[in-house]
Amino acid sequence: MARRNTVLKVTDLAKSFGPVTIVSNFNLEVREGEAVALTGRNGAGKSTILRCLVGADMPDEGSVEVNGIKMSELNPDIRRDVATVIDDLDFFPDLSVVEHLDLLARAHGIVDADNAVDEVLHEVQLVPQSGQLPGTLSSGQRRRLALATAFVRPRKLLVLDEPEQRLDTEGVAWLAARLRAERERGLAIVMASHDPTLVQTVATRVVRVGEGGALAEDLPG
Amino acid sequence: MSKKSRKLIRSAKPGGAPAAAPVDPAPAAVPERAFYFLPDAPTEPVDERELHELMKDWRHGRATRTIGQALQDAYVAVFSVVMIGAMVVNLVIKAQTTASACATATCTSARTLVPWAAVAAVFALALGVSRLFGPVLASAAEGFWLMDAPISRSRLLRGRLTLALIAAFGVGALLSGLTAALSGSGPLAVALWTVAGALGAAGLVAFAAAQQGIERHRLVRVIQGCSPRRRWPRCWQWSRSPRAGSGSPSRPTRGADRGVVLALAVLLLLAALFVALRRLSGIRRARLVSGGSLVSGMQGAMYALDFGLVRDILVERDAVQRGHVRPTKGRGTGLAALVWRDVQRLVRFPKPLIALVLSVIAPYAVDALGLSQLNPFISGLILVAVLVPFLGTLRVLTRTGGLARSFPFKTGQLRTAAMAVPGVLALLWAAATIPAFAGVTSSGAERSLADAALVALITGIAGWLGAVRWVTAKKVDFNAPMVATESGAVPPTLIFNLFRGFDIVALVTAPVMLGGSPLWSLGLALVAFVALRGTFNMDELKAQQDQLNREAEQAKAERAAGGGKIKIPVRDGRGRASRRGRQGGWLSARQRVPHRAQLGLGLVQFLGRVGAGHDPAAGEQPHPGAVGLVQHPATQRDGPLPVAGGVDPADRTGVAAPVQPFDLGDRRPGQRGGCPAHGRGRV
Repeated sequence: MARRNTVLKVTDLAKSFGPVTIVSNFNLEVREGEAVALTGRNGAGKSTILRCLVGADMPDEGSVEVNGIKMSELNPDIRRDVATVIDDLDFFPDLSVVEHLDLLARAHGIVDADNAVDEVLHEVQLVPQSGQLPGTLSSGQRRRLALATAFVRPRKLLVLDEPEQRLDTEGVAWLAARLRAERERGLAIVMASHDPTLVQTVATRVVRVGEGGALAEDLPG
Repeated sequence: MSKKSRKLIRSAKPGGAPAAAPVDPAPAAVPERAFYFLPDAPTEPVDERELHELMKDWRHGRATRTIGQALQDAYVAVFSVVMIGAMVVNLVIKAQTTASACATATCTSARTLVPWAAVAAVFALALGVSRLFGPVLASAAEGFWLMDAPISRSRLLRGRLTLALIAAFGVGALLSGLTAALSGSGPLAVALWTVAGALGAAGLVAFAAAQQGIERHRLVRVIQGCSPRRRWPRCWQWSRSPRAGSGSPSRPTRGADRGVVLALAVLLLLAALFVALRRLSGIRRARLVSGGSLVSGMQGAMYALDFGLVRDILVERDAVQRGHVRPTKGRGTGLAALVWRDVQRLVRFPKPLIALVLSVIAPYAVDALGLSQLNPFISGLILVAVLVPFLGTLRVLTRTGGLARSFPFKTGQLRTAAMAVPGVLALLWAAATIPAFAGVTSSGAERSLADAALVALITGIAGWLGAVRWVTAKKVDFNAPMVATESGAVPPTLIFNLFRGFDIVALVTAPVMLGGSPLWSLGLALVAFVALRGTFNMDELKAQQDQLNREAEQAKAERAAGGGKIKIPVRDGRGRASRRGRQGGWLSARQRVPHRAQLGLGLVQFLGRVGAGHDPAAGEQPHPGAVGLVQHPATQRDGPLPVAGGVDPADRTGVAAPVQPFDLGDRRPGQRGGCPAHGRGRV
């Protein structure tokens, strides 16, 4: 079988806030069809690593490459390939749920945006709320909408920070299956999670993070 | 593959892992599901303008009010702005006339110095605000929904940059022109200062935007730091030169000099704008959104005219950016520890000290302009602005009751401790400004040194108390009774927030400015201090009153249930069981309530008193023992129900009047005001 391409390569990543070193010497390589789960206690640096991976934070040292190109969220090609759900979403208060997704799909140049939005709305079970303004959504619905943003646009790398947050049991099961399906289609996934079921279902590798970097790399389960 | 095709992906069975994965673990059982994936068709290039048009189209028709309705609602505001604007213009013209009449050397000097200083301050302000917000910014929603897409950001952000430039131009023109006018410059000079300030501010904003594009802010910071401080001494030096005092006040800014300055400003603006536009696409999303989030937070605070909250947001942002500090050990115990922590803060955050030191110049400059009569008030206001950053402890303790409750001190003690360090700084400021109040920079000795010291002290105290008043502003309470206006119901605190700090400075300095005795000012300052340190804390008193009411209700219920006496240990003021309590002494709950009322609410009569005219029981039913707001039943029977607020008398004679709610303990029979009960047949 042909060797799969490396989608993400992290080399000697280091990030500090003031005198406190959050991450140091962090290395990671993720290929197509691989899903890496970052685990570790609160404050271990998982989210910081993810923010550096997507260019939201600039690493102090080291490099992050996506498809062989140095990571920069200023590069539209990288923005096209990397879908992220790492922060709480901010919304336009006067645009409805469906309009938000439609805007995102069109901004990414999806030809049949209407259909794509409909399908994803069905999948995240937000069809009844499609006309609602975001301020009226529950926290769980907001989370579903955040996840929908990752699936309504093109992507080669999916970066998720605790995507199971605020989802109900059924929602977590759906998410696990969906991410697994994404992985099997060849998508690379990097996610931080505290949910063992999600990690076991989706991840092909587990990286335990703590005390400034990767502690160990395991297989899930 | 058809672009509309759907792929139904079956969830993988155990063991069906891709070859590249080292080991595919045995997953948990996942039910079979169908997922939608985007078609494989290539995406289309996106036109950013079309996206904007699309959003506009969606938003169209969602407005809840028409322009006519909005104008109708806002006409009072518009009218007020016009009225106040006219008054301000009138004031400016008068001040300008007064100032321009002064032809002494110091006046001429000041007339030249002040516009320079104002323009320098405008430039510093432009750079500071630019660095704070961006100057190019985007809302958090735009950051996620638009900036994440592979579109040209520069096309989206061009409008934002233009807006920032226009704002800088307008504010720069206004501040520079106004200061030049107030300092007595001629119309041509005012116009030139206006243009210079506007172009310079816009140019510096463009420069900051260019720096933002490459994420370099050091240069901006350096220029911002240098602009006021470097120019002041040079301008001062120049203004003291013989040429400046030779009756040719605007000589250096005339002719070729002015042309060069303006040409340089235009050149700077154009060059910076060109570079900024080229670098627009290089601004990271995090930087754009950060400014946008700050603006939206501050918009909410400004909507409620909560300037304190605006400052809190900025302070919080600074703290987040700073991230870490080197921990330092505290010193002392009790309130001294609080004061010492404030001293340590001064060392940790010395930047506000620079503003405080610079503000010492203000009384000298005002005096030089011949406005010595208004000097205490103007300088006091400036002192308010520079002292606010030192009142961080007081701000936090006032804003969040929870933190204040965690300290074992009374509100007054806490506040006094938090006011101590700024108080000392205000005294130092006053000492440094004594010569200004003596008139050293104007015609000569206006006051004796002792009088000048007293006025400087009063100004310092006024500024200090004004800052305390500003910092202790409460949040706007939209649940409180509102004031009806043409623009709708407005909470009173919303209006009062506009004058906080200003009012105390005016109150304390008014006697001095009006030629009265400085002792009046000191007396008023003392009253203001007592009020501000929280001696009369209405919230606390209200909470105590509620507590007493609850206890009274409880006691009544217990009495109704059993009728027995309840053993309650008597506590002294420090919360310890008193000797009497320890020895087994007890009070009935009924006795305890009035006693506590006497102890806790001795001063409430000065605050929430209703008029005597509403006292239906005037002249009868004296109640020497009662003090508070609690009703005290007679010995062997339940008392009548309390009636909230003032109650009108019964509408005919012979009918027992309802019992008044406010019954003062220090009144003796015969001392009550109002008509006798039997004489109130007429209503």
